[in-house]
Amino acid sequence: MVEISHNIEIHNLSTWFGSKKILRDITCYFRDNSVTAIMGPSGCGKSTLLRTLNRLNDLVPSFRREGVVLFRGQDIYKPGSSVYELRKRIGMVFQKPNPFPMSVRDNIMYGPKLHGVKDDNELDKIVEDSLKRAALWDEVKDELDQPAPNLSGGQQQRLCIARALSVDPPVLLMDEPVSSLDPLSAGKIEELIVELKKDYTIILVTHNVQQAFRVSDEAAFLYLGELVEFNSTKKIAVAPQDERTEAFITGRIG
Amino acid sequence: MSDEGQSIFSNRFLFLREWITNVKQSRRHLADFLFKAALTAIVVIIIAPFFLIVFQVASIGFWQVFGTGRGQGIEFFLTFPGVGLEGGIRNAIVGTVELVVLASAVGIPLSVLGAVYINEYARSGLVRNIVEFTSDVLAGIPSIVIGAFGFTFLASFLNLGMGVLAGSLTLAFMMIPTVLRTTQEALRAVPMSLREGSLALGATKWSTTWNVTMRAAFPGLVTGVLLAIGRIMGETAPLIFTAGNSLSVPTELVGSGSWVASIPYTIWAYISDPREYLQAKAHGAALGLMLMVLAVTVVANLISRKVTRRLV
Ligand SMILES: Nc1ncnc2c1ncn2[C@@H]1O[C@H](COP(=O)(O)OP(=O)(O)O)[C@@H](O)[C@H]1O
Ligand SMILES: [Mg+2]
Repeated sequence: MVEISHNIEIHNLSTWFGSKKILRDITCYFRDNSVTAIMGPSGCGKSTLLRTLNRLNDLVPSFRREGVVLFRGQDIYKPGSSVYELRKRIGMVFQKPNPFPMSVRDNIMYGPKLHGVKDDNELDKIVEDSLKRAALWDEVKDELDQPAPNLSGGQQQRLCIARALSVDPPVLLMDEPVSSLDPLSAGKIEELIVELKKDYTIILVTHNVQQAFRVSDEAAFLYLGELVEFNSTKKIAVAPQDERTEAFITGRIG
Repeated sequence: MSDEGQSIFSNRFLFLREWITNVKQSRRHLADFLFKAALTAIVVIIIAPFFLIVFQVASIGFWQVFGTGRGQGIEFFLTFPGVGLEGGIRNAIVGTVELVVLASAVGIPLSVLGAVYINEYARSGLVRNIVEFTSDVLAGIPSIVIGAFGFTFLASFLNLGMGVLAGSLTLAFMMIPTVLRTTQEALRAVPMSLREGSLALGATKWSTTWNVTMRAAFPGLVTGVLLAIGRIMGETAPLIFTAGNSLSVPTELVGSGSWVASIPYTIWAYISDPREYLQAKAHGAALGLMLMVLAVTVVANLISRKVTRRLV
């Protein structure tokens, strides 16, 4: 087997919902401490790929998978491996902000409490750290006990990022995290993503080419469930190898 | 020449047409007016019963509830009926509270957990369909039939006898459809992404359901519960054969000491009684019951309004 050098690697992954084949024989890896963008037109399987990495697709009864997903060298679908432990190590941020209906503080403490942190001082520290890392602390430090759904959309999304960071996952999955936000909030979150890659492996799904070019180091182009191109973002931006990639980044498809 | 003739003809024709149009229009106006009048009458008929009921209950029962004389006002609610039913209705107030609390203690957990099961856990649509179908049918069964069932099944077959236990269990049957369906509704309104947010943090299904889904659905759930409580508070039919009656408060859960009065039953008994002075007491009790149900409904509305503001 190849030497393990990345947090997440995928070998010959295919997935189905019922009889519909969604992902077709995908092999790639995600480099640590960098942002990998997964781009492609709507419906090409970007979300499906992301949700296969933290086994969220297991919730769909008709979901079926072939191939291997490795997290730090371990097959995440191996019988007996803990899905809870996996999801603790692989955080996720969703397309629409989904703060829990509880206070800002309780949103952040939810994960750590779940995984056994009981000490109040430690929890307070986690709340502050996570919010600081998500660049939200200054805005909400006096409103920690306010209901999280009262925050603005952009703040809610940064809260969701902070919530994902609260259990200290090495990997962060982001599924079009700014597509429901106004440009200003979107810009803030893009900056945040670039900042966060120092400490995390970030996999960012987007159908916005410009965004992918702005924030990512590597990029994958997914088309009709097929991994058409996977390369450094610079190379893809300057000289795409496949004509479908070129068509997509010049706006002719998607 | 032919040009001119034609224009005269068409002028005349135009005039005629205008005249016809006018008649048609005024007819249309008349029809419009009559229709509006009929609608107004319908609206009056629709709202009249409410005002008439309030008028009746208040005109006969007002002083019983708000007066300051002997046996009136707060004293009416705090004293037992006593000899010749000359006292207050404390037995009925306490009875209704006990019946509702017991019915809720049984009916709410059953219906809420049932809704959680079919909404969050049941894989097969069959289970869900069966539960939904039966609870919808149960909701449509006349309350007197539920009462008869309570008597036959609980009081006789299970040998509970009449009393607070059989009465409240019968009321619990009546609560189940309302609470189950409103809870389901509330759970269904919780976005899938909220559940996924919790699961993606490594939470178990159970923790997600309890800490996130139920929490988000809670205000809607409370609304349903309060509506159901408001409804069973006023039910007489299910209690006639199951709760018995009492001039004091129950001292045991089953057996003859468990017979219990309730406000609706007391209203029915007093109004059917030939003694004139019981009419004021009956309507006073009715006024008290209406205020209690109103309070419950207002609280339910406040909470549901708060939900819609908070959840979106
Ligand atoms: N839960 C599901 N059940 C069945 N089909 C699904 C499900 N989720 C997604 N799909 C299908 O999988 C395909 C890819 O969807 P998705 O991964 O969400 O695309 P993208 O995120 O690239 O827009 C779509 O055709 C979609 O209809
Ligand atoms: Mg998607």
